[in-house]
Amino acid sequence: MKTKVVNTEPSPPAVGATPVPSSHRVNRVPARRILERFQALAALVGIILIAVALSPRAADGSNIFLEAGNLTDILRQVSVVGIIAVAMTFVILTAGIDLSVGSILALSTSVVAMALTRWSPPLGDTGRIALAIGVALAAGAGVGAVNGAVVSVAKIQPFIVTLATMIGVRGLAKWLTDNANIDIGFGQDVPAVFAAVISRKAVVIGSLLVMAAVFWLVLDRTVFGRYVRAVGDNERAARYTGLPIGRVKIWVYTLSGLLSALAGVIYAAENHQGNPNAGIAYELDAIAAVVIGGTSLMGGKGSVSGTVVGTLILGILTNILRLNNVDSNVEMMVKAVIILLAVTVMSRRPSE
Amino acid sequence: MSRRPFLWFLSTQLVLFAACHTASTGGKKQFFVAFSQCNNAEPYRAAQNALATKLWGRYRDVKLAISDAQQDDNKQIAQIETFIRQKPDLLIVAPNERAPLTAVMSEAIRADIPVICLERDILEPNYTTFISADNRDIGRRAGQFIVDYLSKKYGRPRGDIVQIRGLLGVEAEIARNDGARDVFARYPDIKIVNDAVADWIQAKAKDRMTEALRANPHIDVVYAHNDPMAIGAYLAAHDLGREKEMIFVGVDGLGGPNGGIKKVMDGILAATFVYPLCVDKAVEVGNRMLREPNFKPDKIYTLHSTMITSLNAAEAYKELTFDN
Amino acid sequence: MTATELLRVANVTKRYDGVYALQDAHFSVDKGEVHALVGENGAGKSTLARIIAGATRADRGQIFFNGEQVSILNPLDAQRLGISIIFQELDLFPHLTVAENIVIGNLKLEGRAFVNRKHVNSWCRPFLEQAGSVNDPDAMLRDLPIAHMQLVAIARALSLEARLILMDEPTSSLFGDAVERLFTTVTRLKQSGVSVVFVSHKLKEIFRICDRITVLRDGSTIGTRDTSATSTNEIVTMMAGRPLKGRPTKKSAASNDVLLAVSKLTTGKIQDISFDLRRGEVLGIAGLVGAGRSELGAALFGLRRLISGVVRLNGRAVRITSPTEAIGAGLGMLPEDRKLQGLMIQMSVLENSTMAVLPRYQSWGLLNRQRELGAMEAVHRRTALKAASPDVAVSRLSGGNQQKVLLAKWLLAEPAVLFLDDPTRGIDVAAKEDIYEIIGAAASQGMSIIFVSSELPELLRCCDRIMVMHEGRSVGILDGALATQEAVLALATATAQPLETRPRPV
Repeated sequence: MKTKVVNTEPSPPAVGATPVPSSHRVNRVPARRILERFQALAALVGIILIAVALSPRAADGSNIFLEAGNLTDILRQVSVVGIIAVAMTFVILTAGIDLSVGSILALSTSVVAMALTRWSPPLGDTGRIALAIGVALAAGAGVGAVNGAVVSVAKIQPFIVTLATMIGVRGLAKWLTDNANIDIGFGQDVPAVFAAVISRKAVVIGSLLVMAAVFWLVLDRTVFGRYVRAVGDNERAARYTGLPIGRVKIWVYTLSGLLSALAGVIYAAENHQGNPNAGIAYELDAIAAVVIGGTSLMGGKGSVSGTVVGTLILGILTNILRLNNVDSNVEMMVKAVIILLAVTVMSRRPSE
Repeated sequence: MSRRPFLWFLSTQLVLFAACHTASTGGKKQFFVAFSQCNNAEPYRAAQNALATKLWGRYRDVKLAISDAQQDDNKQIAQIETFIRQKPDLLIVAPNERAPLTAVMSEAIRADIPVICLERDILEPNYTTFISADNRDIGRRAGQFIVDYLSKKYGRPRGDIVQIRGLLGVEAEIARNDGARDVFARYPDIKIVNDAVADWIQAKAKDRMTEALRANPHIDVVYAHNDPMAIGAYLAAHDLGREKEMIFVGVDGLGGPNGGIKKVMDGILAATFVYPLCVDKAVEVGNRMLREPNFKPDKIYTLHSTMITSLNAAEAYKELTFDN
Repeated sequence: MTATELLRVANVTKRYDGVYALQDAHFSVDKGEVHALVGENGAGKSTLARIIAGATRADRGQIFFNGEQVSILNPLDAQRLGISIIFQELDLFPHLTVAENIVIGNLKLEGRAFVNRKHVNSWCRPFLEQAGSVNDPDAMLRDLPIAHMQLVAIARALSLEARLILMDEPTSSLFGDAVERLFTTVTRLKQSGVSVVFVSHKLKEIFRICDRITVLRDGSTIGTRDTSATSTNEIVTMMAGRPLKGRPTKKSAASNDVLLAVSKLTTGKIQDISFDLRRGEVLGIAGLVGAGRSELGAALFGLRRLISGVVRLNGRAVRITSPTEAIGAGLGMLPEDRKLQGLMIQMSVLENSTMAVLPRYQSWGLLNRQRELGAMEAVHRRTALKAASPDVAVSRLSGGNQQKVLLAKWLLAEPAVLFLDDPTRGIDVAAKEDIYEIIGAAASQGMSIIFVSSELPELLRCCDRIMVMHEGRSVGILDGALATQEAVLALATATAQPLETRPRPV
């Protein structure tokens, strides 16, 4: 890595202690910051307009894309990956990455389905459901903590650590379930009640919004959130300032595992089954959403709101292609092109 | 600075515009038939798609759209949801798995859309009609064919069988297994020595068969739940020089140079069972549902299959091979 | 354009986000002359140098080289013309050797496939000698101190057969011998017809070595003077637009109790360092580059394994093995390279200022922006820092203001002992004054300060005592009265008898 040339005079207003009257010392810096923040939002608005324009019309002439049902469909469809992406934002902000989220999701669906269908503790319906969900979340958080510990203590690169976990945890899920799906039925028994309640649109979308709100708050307004960005921005300076880098890293990976498990619980409810083969390539979808939202893979720069926007952009894109019955294979190519375009534009920082 | 977002906007719009317009068909449509297919990559499914396109294509006032879920439940759920938004006149679904697709199909019913469930069933009867073939019957007839063969070979019903199963939990797999076991249960000297799972896929079947060959010095019959798996097993045996030791029985019986019927003609498969595509029945019933508002279809249509052996293979080949 | 002119730039304008870095600036350099480009930070001199070297493009303007108008769109264009630049923050590759750094991408070697290491090294040696570097061509760049790296950069420029070399703050990390060697090199270059542009703050050096001086202010050229026909005062007035305020005399704020007692501290690179630090004292640390000054700071701050030695704070022995422990014990450190080691460059002024003591500003688990802002504004008043807004990213500030943010961070942390490693490197005159005042004020409020610097005048001005280091050892601690430039230099270059290393009993 080259030692970068850093211009010590990027913007001429020597905002120092020597105020010299000058007509061209205009401070437009705050406006620049706001514009950058809204770049992702502008892209979202842009793609909504395109979607509305390209949407087919119903028999009565109304715009299908804008139907409340369709819009909530989109929200529901992006929720599982969206929840993962929200936590992935934190991991990427520390200049790390978590490739194991899809496998943790699979583990979580398997664990929750197994707990519901094979355990009968004397706890009452709600108790049993809560226990099953709790065990699944604990499993996910546990895997995440292991990821974090290895990254921070053994100082192995996150890519490699989470790649190993990705493979190992998938194996664990398959072993636990004997590589078979565990069906959750439609009757009145506890597993069916779990599925019926958790798969409701309101619950699913609500989970995404609540998680996004909580994580936004943590990132923007807590000490921990500030530390996350600091560690990603300049880990050496963070060390020299005495920040608890090890703890920060363990926590971000634990949270990633926890939210992947939450996504898995929702997945199990929506699909009425535990599936050890679920979630393959979900990590890429999550990372794509985070990156489109403006978070830099090098750490330090990014936001939860950007990730939500990125997730929505991908969801709307897919929806409008499907509404127009575009071939699924063409769909993939179009998505790839859009992602590249979005990232290129976002990364063209105005300051050289 | 304000040029960049605008440039992005413009280029995105161009790309989307191009994509959407490659999918549009000219002219006014009167009926919209949506077909949610679970996995175009399977030959059986590809044949279904081809037949559906050909049959529906005979009607000038029908627009057909086929979506491919690529074996992904979530994708299929989302694709069906999007179809529902477009309010098709008829929705045909070939479900990828039973449990995941059950809920969304009830959404379609609730939206007053006629739904045909094709070939694989779901956990609840959330459809207008279910068209399938009798897999259990196929299993039984396959079992009987195997018993007859073994009786001829050894003078009495005894032998060692390797079963290669499809994706676990799918109705076809369950029924084909149960049907055959119904028959085998009556003959204590006929044993299934290896029960392997290969998810309908030829390559996986080859691997499983290799393991079975190593574990069993003597095998009489390989009974695979579909032709690709039977062929995979044959290839494994051929690699170890043991293919003459046993016979191979499959299910599907597709025409064309890659299908099971040709393999029976070539002597690779001893028998296969034509598994109806169900599409012709679906088009017949569906067409009536579109045009006759008072028509009430049966809840379930069960189609029968034909056994193909060397006796009738050539004839069947000619009849069942259509230019896809 | 006269016959002796080598380079002329005219009407150069450059805007960054609507603010003018340069506005109709003009500048010319003759063949075989050493020409200084001076101005306060933000005046535009670095930007002008970068434009000439092709690292940036002007919005408007013309460049003439050797009588012809040229277009310099990228560094390669400049190199082909024979223009080279040596940046203040060097653009070298830390993971390559000295020779590899000179040879990589080198225009003069285009087309050759050099695999032979001996061949490469011997090709580089003359340039290294010419630049005054004593390093082995096989040395890994990241193992060298910054000053040695700089000489490698100069060697590379020489290997490119430059006819014009721009040097951006070249002596900011050089001390004593190295500065002299650089001046010798520059004189040699001048005699061989190469022109040198010296972008610098150090007027004393400029008056020694430069033929002419051009002053920029607020992006415009104020004027050009022959060195022999002007004075420091005139130049400073042109730079600041107002006369320099007089320097106040320093009074010691040190009390008598010893706060920090270091005894025979030894790590891999320093041996047997011992000294006492009293409350409210400013202890300077002088020495040539490589003497081990930054290493001492790292050792105190828990970044090095101690081979032997004892550190006592308030009489109690402490074992510090990490920066967190050091901060907990009451130490603070401003590192040598503020961008690499000190600042979170993408984060805001507010966030960087409060980073060391962030948990203070919480209520109910959430950060309270009002309290944070209040604390930041209070400390920034002490450092005379006026940033456009607290939410501006620190990357947008000038070097002087960035350093003030770092200082503010440590002032907020209120350590008992603050270690400053070259705090005024690359900072303009006015900001330096501010920093001296801040140091003095902090000391008078009871903070003990260890001040490492390569600039003797500022050490003499600010410090109560100066410890001189040479090759990892302490060779003497001079009391304020005895400290003169000559005495310190003598110790630093080991041309004098080493003094008793224990501090005199007080």
